[in-house]
Amino acid sequence: MIKIKDLNAWYQDFHVLKNVSLTVETGQVVVMLGPNGHGKSTVLKSICGLVEKVSGIIEYESESIIGLGSEKLVNLGITYIAENRELFPQMTVLENLKLGAYSRSARASEKDNLEKVFDLFPRLRDRRSQLASTMSGGEARMLAIARGLMSNARFLAIDEPSLGLQPNLRDEVARIIREINDQGITLLVVEQNIPQITTLADKLYVLEEGRISFEGSKEDALGNDHLKEIFLGM
Amino acid sequence: MIFEIADVIISGLINGSVYALMAVGLTLIYGVSKAFNFAYGSFYSLGGYIAFLLFGLSFINSYFLVFLLAAPILLLFGFFVEKALVAPLRKRDDWEIKVMMITLGLALLLDNAYQVIFGARMKSLPPFLGGAFEAGDFYLSHQDVGIFFLSIGGILLFRWFLNNTRTGMSVRAVAQNPAGAQIVGIPKEFVFAATFAISTVMVGMGGILLAQKYFITPMGGWDILVKAWVITAFGGMGSIRGGLYAAFIVGMLESFVGWYFGMTWTLIVLFAVLLTTLAVRPQGLMGKWG
Repeated sequence: MIKIKDLNAWYQDFHVLKNVSLTVETGQVVVMLGPNGHGKSTVLKSICGLVEKVSGIIEYESESIIGLGSEKLVNLGITYIAENRELFPQMTVLENLKLGAYSRSARASEKDNLEKVFDLFPRLRDRRSQLASTMSGGEARMLAIARGLMSNARFLAIDEPSLGLQPNLRDEVARIIREINDQGITLLVVEQNIPQITTLADKLYVLEEGRISFEGSKEDALGNDHLKEIFLGM
Repeated sequence: MIFEIADVIISGLINGSVYALMAVGLTLIYGVSKAFNFAYGSFYSLGGYIAFLLFGLSFINSYFLVFLLAAPILLLFGFFVEKALVAPLRKRDDWEIKVMMITLGLALLLDNAYQVIFGARMKSLPPFLGGAFEAGDFYLSHQDVGIFFLSIGGILLFRWFLNNTRTGMSVRAVAQNPAGAQIVGIPKEFVFAATFAISTVMVGMGGILLAQKYFITPMGGWDILVKAWVITAFGGMGSIRGGLYAAFIVGMLESFVGWYFGMTWTLIVLFAVLLTTLAVRPQGLMGKWG
């Protein structure tokens, strides 16, 4: 579904990604690990059209999408869920969700998606008229994921869903990610604090200093002592 | 005395309502795109001149038609100015300063163009309502009442637009979180241009409303730019509610100072109030700077 080859990305003059190659097949959950600040988010953002300076090949369903703006990509079904959530603080939960369905391809199914999202996150239904800025960290995280789902995405790039989350909510996040995947949405997830998510992975990548340093199944990863110790915490 | 004070209050309310309409437009551009439009006053005059030209056409016989035709002209004009002059600068370093410079240049260009095309002499528009409410010494023209309700109506319409339409929601989204807006697929560039265009309509309409009372002159916009700036900074840059309060405070202040000390004192008092406010509360009344 997503195929990246020799991707390079820069923030101004800082060279963040160096010849990154990666593939995500339809229906898979692919998890990316690696130390903070080494470019994991940049990979996700590059796919979703949120990095200005990129070069290389990014294909979606065998069509080149590199250089397309996020408004086109969201419309195609590619959506980013930010690690710092990026909600609209002075809007209600419902307004945030409605804006999640801003793209043309999502408008027709806004009502259906809203029901689906409320079924997945019953708490958001109760809090639909509350301002996003007044929500707790866990609720805001759920809202960010829910807003991403409103876009009718076929591919979701989820960036560190555990960030700022109390540990007892991690199981919940893992459950939701499994459920989203069961609905047929392909996922690329950056997450290393939730072992349950790593267990869901069809494939793992490790990104270090802007380069892919490991690629393989979770069995391969478990056989690799270095990885096991540092990233999987097992 | 009582009637005099009532007069002063009414005039403050009426001017305040038009200022509110115009200041909301200016604060909107700042809140959404962090750009400051120095040609805002010239857009005010543009509204007046467009109305003047429209009244020159034989088939135009009512203000309703003037508003109906002026609004899309102003909207297109604002959209075009943003796309042609402001948007290309946004990709550069220090673009905020460059936008100020280019809109300042546009203001000078427009004002001189008005002078060439229409001449330096004042133009006037017919009052859109005749008659008055009178009771003894008390006098309130229907025109003033009309101006007040049209301005308030404009602001309410704008509020409805922000809260209930998809484009309005996307304007609020960009103002609250540009990164979040980009993530959900809102085309930021379009929102910037749309905001600019809407604010042009608001100030242009203000121009048409006030031109009936104060005439249209080529340089008449500067006074309005200064007042809109004061109101925006006073209310808090980017805060619409702050702008509304500030507009009525400024309107009232102006009419009381004008009545008690004389019109020459109004700007001095206005700036004194602004400076005091900013010294005590740099972010303005409801402010959010930056």
